Amino acid sequence: MSEPEVAGSDIYLRPELRFEQGKKYMVCAKSGHGKSSLLNFIYGINKEYEGTIEMLSENEEGQKSLGTHILSYMFQDLCLFPELTAIENVQLKNDLTNFKSDSEIEKMLTALLPAEKRHQPVASLSLGQQQRVAAVRALCQPMQFLMMDEPFSHLDKETAQKVADMVVAEVDRQGAGLIVTALDPIEMLPFDIKLNL
Amino acid sequence: MNTHLLRKLQRKTLIPTQIAGYIATLLVGLAIVLLSLQAYCDLRPLLTQQTDVFKAHTVTVSKNVTMFKTANKEGIYFDDKELTSLNEQPFVKEVAHFTSAQFNTEAAVSFGGQTLRTDFFFESVPDEYLDVESSDWHWDSTANYLPLVIPEDYLNLYNFGFAESQSMPVVSEAMLSQITFNVVVSGNGKQRVYDSRIVGLSSKINSILVPNDFLQWANAEFGNSGDKRSSRLLVEFTDASDERIPSYFEGHGLNLSQNELESSKIAFLFRVGIMFLIAIATIIIILSIAFIVMSLNLIVQRNRNLFVNLYKIGYTPRQIARFYQTVIGIVTLCSIAAAATVALMTRNLYVEKLASLFDIDKGGSTILACAVISAIVLVPLYNMLILRMIKKSFR
Repeated sequence: MSEPEVAGSDIYLRPELRFEQGKKYMVCAKSGHGKSSLLNFIYGINKEYEGTIEMLSENEEGQKSLGTHILSYMFQDLCLFPELTAIENVQLKNDLTNFKSDSEIEKMLTALLPAEKRHQPVASLSLGQQQRVAAVRALCQPMQFLMMDEPFSHLDKETAQKVADMVVAEVDRQGAGLIVTALDPIEMLPFDIKLNL
Repeated sequence: MNTHLLRKLQRKTLIPTQIAGYIATLLVGLAIVLLSLQAYCDLRPLLTQQTDVFKAHTVTVSKNVTMFKTANKEGIYFDDKELTSLNEQPFVKEVAHFTSAQFNTEAAVSFGGQTLRTDFFFESVPDEYLDVESSDWHWDSTANYLPLVIPEDYLNLYNFGFAESQSMPVVSEAMLSQITFNVVVSGNGKQRVYDSRIVGLSSKINSILVPNDFLQWANAEFGNSGDKRSSRLLVEFTDASDERIPSYFEGHGLNLSQNELESSKIAFLFRVGIMFLIAIATIIIILSIAFIVMSLNLIVQRNRNLFVNLYKIGYTPRQIARFYQTVIGIVTLCSIAAAATVALMTRNLYVEKLASLFDIDKGGSTILACAVISAIVLVPLYNMLILRMIKKSFR
């Protein structure tokens, strides 16, 4: 991106930006302004940037467990496995972390999805339903930060609120930080800090 | 870690026909290589004449027996001039004489209560031309032991001719050396009986040999002090494949025992044949490896999205690779085991025939050793390649 484009940014070209564990951040920007790129930089799957990103957490298990024990990431493209059912998609992640019991997973999905949809391959679900599966999956791991890339883009307000409540409950329970990106400001989450990208 | 769901996802990415093709080609290629190597190890000693008690590069030379010489026996002996000429040839390293026995000899062997007797004869050559265990090949004037070396043809004549037609058991070289019999030596009004044993076989020399010391002594003791001229010579060449050899001997009307030259030709052809087989089979193996590597590459390319998504939700390349490593590892090991079994079974077919005639190691150790080596090489190789392919797909 060119300099004039990022001139008003709270993030790009700043000498330092610190995300603190326990706080909730909203990152707003128009589409194409690099919201996903920012989260991918932090998650370590995109290295096309200048500058440094440091994890200041005390992490005994090292870099390997970043994606399973420190950072949880709900991707914009969801990264679901279309041939697996909603429950299986969540279990596939939980197999790695062993964080939630089967009944807890069932309970979370029940709150967000109609019964018959939970056992259907994800490919047959609507985009909004897939978004809910991805959100539940992101909660199935120990974390210091939860990053969500436009998590409510395909949800009506009522459903978005249900998902938001579930996310806040889990994040608060773990004492984790939350970084949510959005095109327009989101009202259903109690953000501490709002940043423009 | 519960890998049930991961395996469910990955199982669908395999291409069974390609794996079957890999199993088949690896099996065929490896079975041929294993069998060829084993056959080479088994048969090489038989072809390179290591069973022969004669030094390598040595032939026996005699004069052609013609109609004229039949009447006048003098013609079959070598005179001094001929000996000097032969000694002077550049390809001749050494010439030695045969010494003949000048007394009567009889052999007696007891077979189920019956005693068979036969007249026969002895010759001797200097001991350095023989490669027999020195503990076997000794003679002592006070002892009654007399070792013999007989032509290999005698044993073959019995095994493949007589035993075959009379349904008698065949005899191996090792068995033959266990048989003892009596040799009666007489002359000059004296007689002596020896316990005798066959300690070696020779394909190069058509004679029955005894230690040189014995014959020198016995000729003096029992002999009629007749003529000591030689009708046969032992010639050691510097290089048996020298092309001047055939023309010299032909030009001087001399006979060569062709065995040395023939057998080195056969050994050469055998070696070339085996090398050719191994080369073809190695190409088959390399192709099968290349084939499965390409197949794996195709799997990785086709399912790049799946792998990237797994990686994004926290699966490590190692965890993603493990399924393919396990499948290819098991498939490869099964294929190697099957190839080793096929090779061992095929080998048993020829070993049964040969074991009664020659001393062959029945274990098939070459096959097993090579099979283990291929497993040790291939399985880690695949593990490394699969992991690399998957890591590469994330870039």
